[in-house]
Amino acid sequence: MADKVKLVSGPSTIHARGDVWVVELPRFGPEGTHYHTYGLLTPYFKGLADGRLLGTRCTNTGCPIGRGAGELWLPPRADCPDCHQPMVWDEVKAPAGYIYAYTYVERGGTGLEIECPYYQIDVKIEGVYTIVKSYLADRAPIKIGDRVRAKFRTGAEATHTALDLYFELTQ
Amino acid sequence: MISFAPGNLRVPKWTRPVYMVAAGTTDFRKRYPEKKLEELCMMAFRMLLEENDLKLDPLEVKGLFNLACYGEFADHFQDQLLCEAKVHDYLGLDPLPNVGIKTGGATGGSAMLMGATTVASGMSDCTLVLGWERMDEVKTWTGNYYIATAACKDFETRLGRIYASYYAPMARRFQEMYGVDERVRAAIAVKNRGYACHSPFSQQPGRHTIEDVLAGNIVSDPLRFLECCAMSVGSSAAILCSEELAHTLTDHPVKLYIAGGSHTLRTGDRRPMRIPLLPHETEEDYRQLYADMEKQDGRWPGFESFGATRFAAYMAYRMAGVQVPIEDLDLVETHDAFTISDLQTYGDVGLTLYGREQDYVTSGDCYHANPHTGRPGQCPSNLSGGLLGTMHAVGATGIFQCGEVFWQLQGKYDKFHGEPAMWTRFGKTKPADWSSLQVEDPRRGLAISHAGVGSHVTCAVLEKAW
Repeated sequence: MADKVKLVSGPSTIHARGDVWVVELPRFGPEGTHYHTYGLLTPYFKGLADGRLLGTRCTNTGCPIGRGAGELWLPPRADCPDCHQPMVWDEVKAPAGYIYAYTYVERGGTGLEIECPYYQIDVKIEGVYTIVKSYLADRAPIKIGDRVRAKFRTGAEATHTALDLYFELTQ
Repeated sequence: MISFAPGNLRVPKWTRPVYMVAAGTTDFRKRYPEKKLEELCMMAFRMLLEENDLKLDPLEVKGLFNLACYGEFADHFQDQLLCEAKVHDYLGLDPLPNVGIKTGGATGGSAMLMGATTVASGMSDCTLVLGWERMDEVKTWTGNYYIATAACKDFETRLGRIYASYYAPMARRFQEMYGVDERVRAAIAVKNRGYACHSPFSQQPGRHTIEDVLAGNIVSDPLRFLECCAMSVGSSAAILCSEELAHTLTDHPVKLYIAGGSHTLRTGDRRPMRIPLLPHETEEDYRQLYADMEKQDGRWPGFESFGATRFAAYMAYRMAGVQVPIEDLDLVETHDAFTISDLQTYGDVGLTLYGREQDYVTSGDCYHANPHTGRPGQCPSNLSGGLLGTMHAVGATGIFQCGEVFWQLQGKYDKFHGEPAMWTRFGKTKPADWSSLQVEDPRRGLAISHAGVGSHVTCAVLEKAW
């Protein structure tokens, strides 16, 4: 078993429909594929493939919670749940944080694309309000509070899915 | 931080009270090739009509139904859309209306909730609530894939196609925050699987030790094999009716109060909020907890607790007049799909304060007989054997739990669990060391039905009404 976690799948097939990405989610061969749209969240997935982590925040001054300077949501949302107005995109620069919770997955269900065993981690990223679920490239023992930084699958390595964001321990 | 508007905290006010008068169930198995799904539903339906000492003949009772609420968790397990129509027809209930209800693991509880509202509103005088799941058509690891589609498809599911991997981080965080000894989680598995030994319906009874649990294979660290429920097949049912009909049908009716709550599909998206207080709690009770949370970058409900469960209990206790849960409740069924969810729930439903869940379990109050004193535990939990020991045929689960509480309130634990014929019906032999888990003269019980990582929860309070 190598030190670093690998994916056992290749890139997902993506169809551009105007500005949005529609990703193929095959169930049983090409005829059984689901065509799943990323809709207004497409910039997030495009961002990952470019090595950028994008969240959204509410800038509506009339929002009862954000009051014009809402927190950064990640996963992003196109619309604010508090005032229903469109949120705006904002990049998290050099994303880093600490492990808030984690589990070591010894075996996953059918179709899992991450090579077991691996750490599924929940990361408190600096500047981000929510806690982001992801996976860790390292297999070394970890604990809550360990520092991590974001890594990306970009270019030919990109899967065009949430798997394009992962983390590694900060040495 | 988010807060509730006063209108959102309105306590449900039903137009008329709702009664439960009968329960029925199959046994539960990992694989049940002997019967088709609708045949299993018929088994539960017949027990419902024929074995609850109702004062009318089974077909006369059937003649009272106005509507059916059906619980089925996942169309892809059954591989059959509109399964409700098949079951309804098979039970001979056409052309009465029926609705299918679907809220993940809380499907059974939500079917009870919706069934109750049909009676409370006057839409129906007598409602059948029946649920099922058939999880044996696919291999276990494909079943795990199906269940993990209850995680967020865009941002989570690819990170773990087994649902234990979504509970394990909560267990890890809970353990860290409250200094939980893993032996406490193991004790929950031992207790509930042990109670399942006394149930003819149970799928995986076992007399385990804490050491057995801790020596088991890891499913998703820190959760071990015996800490997780299994794929399950079976069906359960209940009859809900008006007060007038309840007294026509039985001398031992049970009053039902039930409410629900919900909270994000993704645990990490839960925004911090102040704890909605139960009738017996004060802000002062949680001053220290908030301070401790701050030190650990914690938030309520965070990864440690279930906001949906607290919200449902907040409503159900006020509907039922429950003031101090540990004194006013005589037994409880929690949704112990994993040991950690059982532990987390004791704070949510106020049997103890948040942060003291571990102490509550070690106190022995959640046992039929308190292991420290040998005397009855104050509020035993999961005497049915729970999800860990007895069943989690998902669409049936919340209904099964209410049924077990219902029989306890009627003093019928022995009738349904202790008759040798009940064991032989399911191809089993009543164990020589069988003992009764009947609670002594219980007045009120609680059943929690729970979905996702706490996405939907119902809280039912059942109360003796004779």
